[in-house]
Amino acid sequence: MAVPAIRTEGLTKRYGTSTALCELDLELDPGEVVGYLGPNGAGKTTTIRLLLGLSRPTAGRAEIFGFDCQRQTVAAHRRLTYVPAEANLWPSLTGEETLHLLGRVQGRVDLGYREELVARFDLDLTKKVSVYSKGNRQKVLLIAALMSRPDLLVLDEPTGGLDPLMEQAFRLSVREAREHGQTVFLSSHLLSEVEVLCDRVAILRGGRLAEIATLAQLRHLSALSVEATFGGVPPDLSRVPGVVRAVADGCDVHLQLQGSIAPLIEALAGTDLRGLLSREASLEDLFLAYYGPSQVLDQDAPPAVVAAGKSDLP
Amino acid sequence: MSTMLVGPQRGDLTAVSTHPATILGKVVARQASRSGALWGLAFGVFIVTQTFAYTSQYKTQAARDGLARAYGTNLGLNALLGQAKALNNVAGWAEWRFIGILTILGSVWGLLTATRLLRGEEEAGRLDLFLVGQTTQRAAAIQAVAGLGVGLVAMFTAITAGTLIAGHLSSVGLTLGQCFALSLTLVAGPAMFLAVGALASQLANTRRRAAAVAGALFGVVYAIRMIADTNTSVHWLIWLSPLGWIEESRPLTGHKLLLLLLVLALTITTAVAACWLAQRHDVGAAIFAGSNASAAHVRLLGSPAGLAVRLVRSSVAGWLLAVAAFALLVGMTAESATTDESGSSGIEHALSRLGRHGSPVEDYLGLTMLIVAVIVALVAASQITAIRGEEADGHLEVLLVRPLRRTSWFAGRVALSIFVLVATGVVGGIGTWAGAATQHADISFGSLITAGLNVVPPSLLLFGLGALTHGLWPKATTTVVYGYLAWSFLIELAGGLIKMGHWLLDTSVFFHMAPAPAVSSNWSSAAVLTGLGIAGTVIGGLFFHHRDLQNL
Ligand SMILES: Nc1ncnc2c1ncn2[C@@H]1O[C@H](COP(=O)(O)OP(=O)(O)O)[C@@H](O)[C@H]1O
Ligand SMILES: [Mg+2]
Repeated sequence: MAVPAIRTEGLTKRYGTSTALCELDLELDPGEVVGYLGPNGAGKTTTIRLLLGLSRPTAGRAEIFGFDCQRQTVAAHRRLTYVPAEANLWPSLTGEETLHLLGRVQGRVDLGYREELVARFDLDLTKKVSVYSKGNRQKVLLIAALMSRPDLLVLDEPTGGLDPLMEQAFRLSVREAREHGQTVFLSSHLLSEVEVLCDRVAILRGGRLAEIATLAQLRHLSALSVEATFGGVPPDLSRVPGVVRAVADGCDVHLQLQGSIAPLIEALAGTDLRGLLSREASLEDLFLAYYGPSQVLDQDAPPAVVAAGKSDLP
Repeated sequence: MSTMLVGPQRGDLTAVSTHPATILGKVVARQASRSGALWGLAFGVFIVTQTFAYTSQYKTQAARDGLARAYGTNLGLNALLGQAKALNNVAGWAEWRFIGILTILGSVWGLLTATRLLRGEEEAGRLDLFLVGQTTQRAAAIQAVAGLGVGLVAMFTAITAGTLIAGHLSSVGLTLGQCFALSLTLVAGPAMFLAVGALASQLANTRRRAAAVAGALFGVVYAIRMIADTNTSVHWLIWLSPLGWIEESRPLTGHKLLLLLLVLALTITTAVAACWLAQRHDVGAAIFAGSNASAAHVRLLGSPAGLAVRLVRSSVAGWLLAVAAFALLVGMTAESATTDESGSSGIEHALSRLGRHGSPVEDYLGLTMLIVAVIVALVAASQITAIRGEEADGHLEVLLVRPLRRTSWFAGRVALSIFVLVATGVVGGIGTWAGAATQHADISFGSLITAGLNVVPPSLLLFGLGALTHGLWPKATTTVVYGYLAWSFLIELAGGLIKMGHWLLDTSVFFHMAPAPAVSSNWSSAAVLTGLGIAGTVIGGLFFHHRDLQNL
């Protein structure tokens, strides 16, 4: 059996009394593209900094291709490259100089691929970093990470400053990496990005791993997304077996369904139902389902909807 | 349960400012006055406690005459603080001492505050937030400068409280007018360098560069004043330095207060120039912005060590040039300064705390090498804060996620820093020798090289302290290093005049350095300083290896 690209055992990080990451057990096979999802503050960056040996764990351990992340950092780092969410580079260096430096420190560069990437990301390397936009600085680090063709790419929300065109270039590059058998660990808040790129998705919630599964498995867990429209005030459907989430919005109700749809059809019989729309759950639906209706209601829904929803759900 | 949400927070635009166009000025004024009041308060406390110490230690006229004889012609102190005219009365003493010390510190405050609040804010992009409002760049600059003025008033108020209390001590008895005149003179330096900082903020495109430009200007006018005060044959040079005008105003004994009008005129001109230039560059850019693009120079960029050299080389070159120029000037004037009549009588006492001393020239150079020691210590402080800065700015993690050991990176930066410190000290020695050689002064090359090396150990101790802090509590590095440096400097200055407990003098790192070439170097003390510095660096490096990397 191949050595896992990433393996963590009970990896834990506490800052004072608050726990940023709690007993994470994670294993990535070589060649996998894994998405790492979680709301802000879930502990994604914390995990990655522990994997890179930038932070020291409170408990547990982590390995990259069998090398301990804390004690054998240099050996581990020979196999990986990393793109952070915030691209902090030396303002006095030009893009060209930065790429040269990072290639030398990394120790290996595919020069032909480097030129291809520079063209693909449409980056002017003669400019100084001080005049680059956030997106351009991000591109420098993306090119630097990809041009070494590492066995493992660790990406922490790498597309924050990129425009849609560049986002496409990024997706193309990740697919190429996968075709080359490289492993990709992609922390992201762009669900669509994870949905199209990743074989498996790990979902982090409050520092704990809530789920890790393939998209197909996740879809199976939460089979359907249903939208029901009523003639008047919608009935309370949150107690119907299989319904994991119900949000009322005027005369509409958005439902998240797990398992059979039969109990819902039964419950709808005899109501003033005007329309019913069902589709396969998107990753966004899955994601929202993991963070529970209460959170969704509190944070994301405008106050009017909360009021309506609450008044109808006793 | 049915809830009706009515949103008072939403859609309800409350006027939060009655004069939206002046909001920037208010923000700057708030920050500047907080800092000005704090520094003014420290100055006030210094004035009161020092005055109290003088009057209680030198009670009789005989004692004060003794003090004046001992220190009045002390060239080292004259160089640092300006010419002492009448130390045998409290007015003459207070005017010399307070204007000498506080003008230096206040000017540094002024240039740091102005560049922080103007260029720093613009660099961070916060000025954009104001400029999308109802303000033009020039109006914004005028507001910001006015805000700095408010900070100056806060400082003046706090200082005046100090001078009033000190002046009304029963044994002092300054008039109200004298207290105000002294306070006014004390804020002249800060005012001028607030304006210089504002101007530099328009010229340079980063806060560091702006502060460096303003700092260099301060260095030049301070050096001119220093040369003028140590060498009567070129005393006319004092009129070339605004710091000289402040010194010559002598508000308590000479009453040449009108000289402050010159300072005022220069300050206003500088401030107006700053406001005028503000309109002549883009927001976030500067008059001398440097180039936005350049051909790649990758010779040094093959390794982290090369990168370190590339990052520090321009600031190090600046320091070396400054030290070389200072040392050369000092060397060239050493002979005439010490053969001068007033000089030779005072020099006898200049090193009284040291017992044995050499020829007058050697004594003089011993004191000027002390200033080189302070500069080398400043270089040490800037090196360790630059090391911390790489981490704080998030640059370091870009390197450390690659196959590079944290300890090797740190060791490389430490080695480079130590090399720079030794080089700065040696350049100080060689520069002094070269300057002295032009005047055929009788002092050997070897003894000045030794004197140059002699100033390095204190800076190593400071560096070690910084490295230890960097390992244990990285965010405090800058504060601890510059705080301890300022403390040592103040103790050294104060120790020359007011009797202090030995334990207090011992806390100054400079006190443990023999002022070579006036006396021979104390190598055992130097070894202890070096050893402590290395130990601090090694322990700090170990803690750094085991801790989390911490961005700002
Ligand atoms: N250096 C730190 N000190 C204290 N708390 C931290 C530190 N870094 C992260 N945290 C906390 O740890 C939690 C996880 O943060 P992070 O890993 O950055 O989240 P994510 O990347 O998923 O948005 C957050 O609650 C954050 O406030
Ligand atoms: Mg994050």
